[in-house]
Amino acid sequence: MKKKMMLWVVGMLTFLLVLAGCASDAVNEGSSGNDTNDSGGSSEEDTALTNVDIFQFKVEFKDQFEELVQLYMEENDDVNLSVQTVGGGNDYAASLKAQMASGNEPVIFNIGGPTELEEYRDYLTDLSDTEAASLALDGTLNGVEEDGAVYGLPFAQEGYGLIYNKNIFDEVGIDPATLTTFEAMEDAFKTIDEQKEALGLEAVVALPASELWVMGNHLANNYIAPEFNNDILTAYEADSISFEYGDQMKRMLDLQNDYSVQPVLSLDYSMQVEQLFSTGKVAVIQQGNWIYPTVEQMDSDFATNGIGMMPMPFEGEYEDHLPVGVPQYWVVNQNASEEEIQAAKDFLDWMYTSDQGKDFVLDEFKFIPAYDGYDASRISDPLSQDVYKYSVAGKTLGWTFMATPVGWNEDILATEFQKYLAGDVTFEEALDVAKQSWESSRQ
Amino acid sequence: MKNKNISFWLFILPALFALTVVVFYPFFYGFYYTFTDWNGLTATTFLGLENYVNVFQDERFLDSIEFTIKFAVVSIILVNLLGLGLAVLVTQKMKINNGLRTIFFMPNLIGGLILGFIWQFIFKSGFDAVGQMFGIEFLQGWLATSETGFWGLVILNVWQYAGYIMIIYISYLQSVPQELLEAAEIDGASIFQRFWRIKFPLVAPAFTVSLFLTLSNAFKLYDQNLALTNGGPYGSTEMLAMEIYKTAFSRYEMAYAQSKAVIFFILVAAVAISQVYVNKKREVDM
Repeated sequence: MKKKMMLWVVGMLTFLLVLAGCASDAVNEGSSGNDTNDSGGSSEEDTALTNVDIFQFKVEFKDQFEELVQLYMEENDDVNLSVQTVGGGNDYAASLKAQMASGNEPVIFNIGGPTELEEYRDYLTDLSDTEAASLALDGTLNGVEEDGAVYGLPFAQEGYGLIYNKNIFDEVGIDPATLTTFEAMEDAFKTIDEQKEALGLEAVVALPASELWVMGNHLANNYIAPEFNNDILTAYEADSISFEYGDQMKRMLDLQNDYSVQPVLSLDYSMQVEQLFSTGKVAVIQQGNWIYPTVEQMDSDFATNGIGMMPMPFEGEYEDHLPVGVPQYWVVNQNASEEEIQAAKDFLDWMYTSDQGKDFVLDEFKFIPAYDGYDASRISDPLSQDVYKYSVAGKTLGWTFMATPVGWNEDILATEFQKYLAGDVTFEEALDVAKQSWESSRQ
Repeated sequence: MKNKNISFWLFILPALFALTVVVFYPFFYGFYYTFTDWNGLTATTFLGLENYVNVFQDERFLDSIEFTIKFAVVSIILVNLLGLGLAVLVTQKMKINNGLRTIFFMPNLIGGLILGFIWQFIFKSGFDAVGQMFGIEFLQGWLATSETGFWGLVILNVWQYAGYIMIIYISYLQSVPQELLEAAEIDGASIFQRFWRIKFPLVAPAFTVSLFLTLSNAFKLYDQNLALTNGGPYGSTEMLAMEIYKTAFSRYEMAYAQSKAVIFFILVAAVAISQVYVNKKREVDM
């Protein structure tokens, strides 16, 4: 009997504990905003410091960024910035979510575009009163601007296309600038392919079909952006996709596959960029300006003098356009205290508009600036220069994959492309699956 | 008696508390989320069983269940065969026994991610180079098709776990009474008879442990899967854990992923419990 009683008591205690857990959680949720305010306020009284937590994703410039932050803190001793870097696309999103859920919210963090804007809307501060927002280049605020409010400040610009080996094109006597149509491109590939032994090539192209983003995000976007009039928001609001330029998409994929090192389905980014392109075993790869540091590490002379970027062929209004976009935006958490928000805005402004900040952006971060007032001739590498050239000329395509249904480009479209390349489905079937998936997620 | 009871419960309380906070509470909270449209930040509507209905119509999920079961069956058989084989080998009277044991156990000390990348290199570059040198087409283009992806995973898993399972079998093999073996030898039993008639039945309890370990391990495999194939090509080598992770963290359907995880939990629990039950019963019979 006694034993049973004890069991009951313990059982009830456990239950109470669970309830207590729930209850305290609920209270926390309600007041977490106030909590951070309070602690922020009190610590400020003690030390006169405003703490700003930065949670950012770009691993590549972590060291340089921390250096910049240090510099800023030396100049402004009433602000304490702490940087946390969590790498790579998916991991960042997951840990940001965890950070938010735990109540330990950063003041400055990154979002990718309209899809994440929607998700984090309740957390975002309007940044339209910052100087940086007013200096942002046309189109770079496209995905984060709504009814006059600017919710994010662009990191930088990035662009991708077909990166070619200048030496090989010189040797076969083809000018890459003339390759704006499919016919010209196909002829060029054929010419190179015929001489590949003499040129020391393994194949003309390396198509890393195991990297879902290369096909699903980048290749496809070249033929999806025109369908949505080159506007990210149109894509974001579209209920369906018709693949108006699907045949051109197929032509581009086939062209790369036909002239690629095989088997494409196990070829990955590092083989494409490091093992094949940097060592001169392929002449052309579809990649972006971000590969420059890698190529430079492998062969710095080749990186500075031997490479260039050209757009993928497109027939129609957007011929000779390069897809240029903003990979990530800086945003400021609305739940932070007023001092923290102001300090965050000041810091972002300083980074992109002060002379010191500009030097860092160009020389240390090696960004392609997304803001007015930069000396374009100081952009350091040839790929970025090509991107900036197209950007200044206004010959750019938007990055619609920032505005497609979540996961659609990689999990659906690129996966179907892989099936097509493996010969399991036809291209039309692949597109049909992608169409249906788009419609069902946009219901 | 009464005092003993109270102290018993008092001692157990801290552990019970910790368990409640980090296991039971999240578990039931997660279970609750499966009935909502929770996106990782907020849950707005109560959906009832909708998530579960969708899970069973999700072809990708069903495919990954099929793939995982296929993988589990093949790798359990191979891991145990190889593990037992190695155990028998290193319990023979040889001088290099200890060295061999260390070598066979070594793969188990390497982390799954690193192993995955090492084997990715072997399959993609090593196999390819050998294949080109000798003109063996079979060795070229590994991991580019779903079949080679499957066998790649199996090879990796068997290679990693056989050594671990070997240790378990060794301990049972060594506890086989010498006098039984000697008596059998004097009666003229051949080496095979001694193995099948004496050692094998006496090692049977080890099967329970080994099968349980390899089974739950095969079902929960994630890091090797991630590093070796990352589900490719076209998601055909995506195992359950990875499918759930991708639903949650690349498609952000948190509540939906959570309901998949609940089904995953039930599946693993059911398989493991029934397997232990069956094995226990058989042990007694022997």
